[in-house]
Amino acid sequence: MLRIFSILLAMTGLLLAETPGGAKPSFTVGWSVYAGWTPYHYLMQSGIMRKWADKYGITIKIQRFDYAPSLDAFVAKNIDACTMTNMEALDMPAASGVPTTAVIIGDYSNGNDALLVRNGLQLKDLPGKKLLLVQKTVSEYLLDRAMALNGMRDRIKQVRLINTSDSDIATAFLSDASASATVTWKPLVSQILKQKGITSLFNSSQIPGEILDLTVVRTEVLNRPDGSGKRFAKALAGAWYEMMARMSAPGPEADKVLTAIAGGSQDTLASYKEQLSTTKMFYTPQSAVEFGASPSLKEKMALVRQFCFDHGLLGSNTKSVDDVGIGYPDGTSQGKPDRIRLRFELSYMKMAAEGKL
Amino acid sequence: MSAGVFAIHAKPTRQTALMLSWFLFAAGISLYFYTSAARHRENPEDRVTPTIAQMAHGMHDAVLRPAEDDEPLPDGASFLETVRHSMLWKDTRATGLRFFYSMALLFPAVLVGLHMGLFPYVGAFLLRFVLFFDKIIALSLLPILFIAFGIDELSKIMLIVIGVTPTILLDTFNLTRAVPGEQVVKAFTLGASDFDVAYRVVLKQIWPRVLNSIRLNLKAIMLFLFAGEMIASTDGLAYRIALLRRHMGMDVIIPYVLWVALLLFLVDFSMRWINRKLHPWFHEA
Repeated sequence: MLRIFSILLAMTGLLLAETPGGAKPSFTVGWSVYAGWTPYHYLMQSGIMRKWADKYGITIKIQRFDYAPSLDAFVAKNIDACTMTNMEALDMPAASGVPTTAVIIGDYSNGNDALLVRNGLQLKDLPGKKLLLVQKTVSEYLLDRAMALNGMRDRIKQVRLINTSDSDIATAFLSDASASATVTWKPLVSQILKQKGITSLFNSSQIPGEILDLTVVRTEVLNRPDGSGKRFAKALAGAWYEMMARMSAPGPEADKVLTAIAGGSQDTLASYKEQLSTTKMFYTPQSAVEFGASPSLKEKMALVRQFCFDHGLLGSNTKSVDDVGIGYPDGTSQGKPDRIRLRFELSYMKMAAEGKL
Repeated sequence: MSAGVFAIHAKPTRQTALMLSWFLFAAGISLYFYTSAARHRENPEDRVTPTIAQMAHGMHDAVLRPAEDDEPLPDGASFLETVRHSMLWKDTRATGLRFFYSMALLFPAVLVGLHMGLFPYVGAFLLRFVLFFDKIIALSLLPILFIAFGIDELSKIMLIVIGVTPTILLDTFNLTRAVPGEQVVKAFTLGASDFDVAYRVVLKQIWPRVLNSIRLNLKAIMLFLFAGEMIASTDGLAYRIALLRRHMGMDVIIPYVLWVALLLFLVDFSMRWINRKLHPWFHEA
């Protein structure tokens, strides 16, 4: 009996002792399938990430997740960096007290998210109709903005929202004619639009720069006293922009790279290119830095954080929208300055722009 | 041989047995609160493992505040009125209705199973197909279900029916077959008709076992129901859990999960009780 106990104890001890001493510091990046994030698959496959990790004396693991579990893993501190939108960065880790820093602004949705309707309905017809979407995500944000921009914000409650899992939303919408509208994202949008009689009423290109796709790192990882967190961010930025240069290079080389990236999500080159056409990629670090430093970022984040607060996404204990602060590169902040939970950090992209990595 | 603690003949005292039976509960709960406290020391805003105060607060809101999509209540509404407009009540009602509809649809399956086991033509007609259908993973047929039944209530109930019916059918079939042939012959010699044999001899004695098998399938029913609600719905307990997951509302999710467990336990318990009352001669399980 005692022997079994001691073996069990020893095994738990081994499990708890995660960090092998003396090895290189190791970091994990989680990504999920989306036009702007699938390049991570190629970063790993092509060895670009390993090259940059070696340069900075660290180990970087890249792991694919479904979107929601990747957020859970990041909030639970199981991974160090993760791809997510600005909205989820605010309402998942930041609002759960896990300070988060966006180190790469990868792209914004420029038509990837869309509101689709049957039989030529108009926005004013939507109240009272059934609409399928994944609630409390950028999809609901897009609907909110579409109604607000057309002066119908007060009627939004009359739309009958049906929370539908993204894995089934395309078939659910196509096969049930009683659902009049849906809000979803590509490639599902392209799939649904192939059906006759379905039109796009509103898409994210009408609210450019509001749905941002980021690579975020936990602030506490970034600020590790041994400096390994900063080296991690540098390696990420270095690898990312080497990747971007390859993707956007003129000539047939880029197509080869794009095919390999598309393979990361079992996609074809044509389909991936079609998705990229509605994704505003920041191919150069200069363009990303310019966007991150512009005052419009703050205006857009103000809309997003108000939406999150109105929908209770910041948690039931958050009494004021200012309780989850956002810090900007120029030192200003939205919300309480002593409660900055989400920070936009441009320095790593700047270093990439200046060739200092 | 001395009566060792781990011997078959060991006789724990009442107190020891009581303590032992609660040990894992105590261990689980204390492990949770230990982890929760540790996580909150490190991050006071942690939402992954809420403290008891947070859960109580979340549950208080779920029970005593009108649901998000509901009209605000007039001032001075009674306690009962408040509860009836709350999130928890509405969700429980929606899920409960679906649950009872699908349970009601499961009972005809018992009769079909009985006929399959007794009447050779019915058996020849259905058995092979049901055996095949039993192995189909209902969840993977969702797109077809959506086309056939739409995305409203019907598809959720059909998901449960398609998922659980074959099990009930086959179980009843096997139980029917296990009734000794001599009894059937004897009933015939006493002048019973076909239906007398089916309903008054066979069904009567397999009934408690069938109820038991439905009871053991409660969890499968609940699993399908939750899957359906998470895929497409506007209300229900699983709908709420799916929504809350989107912003780590574990302070409500954990009490919700415990609430579902309690409800399931009560249904299970009452089915056992009814079974005992209806069939006092039956002693099994």
